[in-house]
Amino acid sequence: MNKRSHSIAFWAGIAVFLVAVLSMTQIVRNEYPFFAGYVILQFIALAVAWTILGGYAGYVNFGTNAFFGVGVYTAVALFKATGAPLVVQIAAAAVVGMLLGFGVGLLTLRMRGIFFSIATIALAIIIETFVMNWRFVGGAAGIQLQRPPVMAPFDSYVKMLFFVQAVLVVIAVGIARYIQNSRMGRGLQALRDDELAAECTGVPTLKLKLVACMISGALMSAVGAPAAMYLQYADPSSAFNLTYSVSALAMSLIGGTAHWIGPVLGAILLGSTQQFLAVTISSEVNVLVLGIMLVLFVVGAPKGIIGLLRPRYRLRAGGKQ
Amino acid sequence: MKRRTFLGGAMAVAVVGHGSSAFAQQPPIKIGMSMPQTGGLAGGGKASLLGIEIWRDDINAKGGLLGRKVELVVYDDKSSASETPAIYAKLVDVDKVDLLFAPYATVPTAPIMPFVKQRGLLLMGNFSFQVNSKVGHDMWFNNAPWGPADSWAASFLDLAQKAGGKNMALLTADQEFAQNLALTARDVAKKRNIPVVFDQVYPPNTVEFASIIRALKAAKPDIVYVASYPPDSAGILRAVNEIGIGDDVKIFGGGMVGLQFAAVMSNLGSLLNGVVNYNTWLPEKSMYFDGTKEFFDKYTKRAIEAKVDPLGYYLAPFGYAMGEMIAAAVNSTRSLDQKGIAKYLRENEHKTIVGPIAFAADGERKETATLQAQFRGVKDKDIEQFRSSGKQVILFPDKLKTGDLISPFEAARK
Repeated sequence: MNKRSHSIAFWAGIAVFLVAVLSMTQIVRNEYPFFAGYVILQFIALAVAWTILGGYAGYVNFGTNAFFGVGVYTAVALFKATGAPLVVQIAAAAVVGMLLGFGVGLLTLRMRGIFFSIATIALAIIIETFVMNWRFVGGAAGIQLQRPPVMAPFDSYVKMLFFVQAVLVVIAVGIARYIQNSRMGRGLQALRDDELAAECTGVPTLKLKLVACMISGALMSAVGAPAAMYLQYADPSSAFNLTYSVSALAMSLIGGTAHWIGPVLGAILLGSTQQFLAVTISSEVNVLVLGIMLVLFVVGAPKGIIGLLRPRYRLRAGGKQ
Repeated sequence: MKRRTFLGGAMAVAVVGHGSSAFAQQPPIKIGMSMPQTGGLAGGGKASLLGIEIWRDDINAKGGLLGRKVELVVYDDKSSASETPAIYAKLVDVDKVDLLFAPYATVPTAPIMPFVKQRGLLLMGNFSFQVNSKVGHDMWFNNAPWGPADSWAASFLDLAQKAGGKNMALLTADQEFAQNLALTARDVAKKRNIPVVFDQVYPPNTVEFASIIRALKAAKPDIVYVASYPPDSAGILRAVNEIGIGDDVKIFGGGMVGLQFAAVMSNLGSLLNGVVNYNTWLPEKSMYFDGTKEFFDKYTKRAIEAKVDPLGYYLAPFGYAMGEMIAAAVNSTRSLDQKGIAKYLRENEHKTIVGPIAFAADGERKETATLQAQFRGVKDKDIEQFRSSGKQVILFPDKLKTGDLISPFEAARK
């Protein structure tokens, strides 16, 4: 009963969020909140997607930018070749991201800890080099795109993208929440704490890791897909920017990785701060502020915001009762 | 302590009160832009911004624009394309700036082109390359001297062919700007029936060029066209110095980024001799126009404090020129109407500290004013030598020419 009422509250919250986003696109005329809000939503979705592998399973993935960039370039290639609509671009990006996640899972999940992380960095570099030499999508010189006309009920494309990104956030959070509460989540938690012990007690660790990799990858690439239309421009150095990896990781760590709300809180806090600093202090200082914030959280709140807020999550994050 | 606070406050009020009296009642004219102040493009971005700030101070000292003070609203875009859409949306929708300048370089500028076109806004370009060719915005004006897309390669190949060059080697970095240059170089070579005997694209962050230079040397080219970025420009010249490049090479260089900046130039010193490379402004006799000298006097002083390129030839005067063009347009049309300003900019030739500027329909220069200059008699470890004329002799364009090419490359290196 308690679980069920939690569920009702969660889905009611999601519905309120989507209605609020939709009405915002209809009421607010000033476009800046949508430009800035899009970026924050994008980071929420990325951080949640990262947490599925990095938080639940404890496999630190530095290749968020690889998945994000693959999403961007799947959208670009598809749009250039067929003029496919946004939904198709996102769906295709998710499929490609999932395949990439599968490949990465097979290749690198036999490596653990730091070796896995290094392999994911290498992945980003390999794919970026490939895209740089792929002339059809502009190669190293980048490519400019013309947006198609916007669809009703939106009066500007950015507002539509803002709503689409909000839907992606809902999907990511929904999946993360489902995994967390399911058999799979408990399995991932077990393998994070001790992979050998988990395997011995009958947890199908490789299968779980592969599925986590695929879901996380699909979400990250799906989040990247609308970025092509947001920027109306794609170049490899921006699409595969290491900032995406660092930010997704920092947001999850700051928020806490044991619960899906952690990366959401972390991304809202860090993403808004980044957007705010970009138009206020706007100099080298904003890089410093973010660095200091990360250090403070790592030292002062190793379990993130949720560790500070709810001591019981601290127990769960540690995996000990 | 309290009294000191009070005195400080009173002084501040007095200063502010005095300062604003010249521009009584009227709100300032706000010019908005993002500028790379961190990340890979920061070095150039800061120098460019200093040029624009010097213009702002000059115009305000003269009484501002339309009797109103000019104010800059500047945000850092971290050299990234993903930052600029939100920044320009804020400039236009929240800060309500009157005019827009583009950030330095192509990558941060590209995403805002569709935005300004859609909103019908004037955008003054700042050294981006062919960013309007696909967008076709008629209120875009680039301050860079590039001119038509193929003129860059064409001018270099003109010099090369005159010196007897018959075949070409291409060595280019796998990055945005270098690849744009490489594309036009291949096209121009094809049109002129110059065979490309060596075409090597190397990944960014390459540090060791010995094997590439050996392979290039083995192809025995007459013309070596290099499009590279600062760290690789240095690496390539060091490898050429160690291995040599052969006596066949008539001309070497073309599109090497980095050889315009004081730090790189003084670091490379005598290795630069003989290289023919593009530039935008040089301290040669033909390059001084009304106000040029005064600008560099101010720049040289302020560059130390701002910790930017001490020479500032490449970007800063063009930032100033961007302001000069806007001032002329606003003063002539007596308004801030962007369509009117765009019309004025398109139809007239503008006098600036970097020479006269006239725009073609695509918002780029009608004629290229990109210099091709040859390094001569450069000594090691001396920044000040680059302030005197004769160290970089201008070979192209003819109007600004201050000398002839010394060829072959090996002879020019001595």
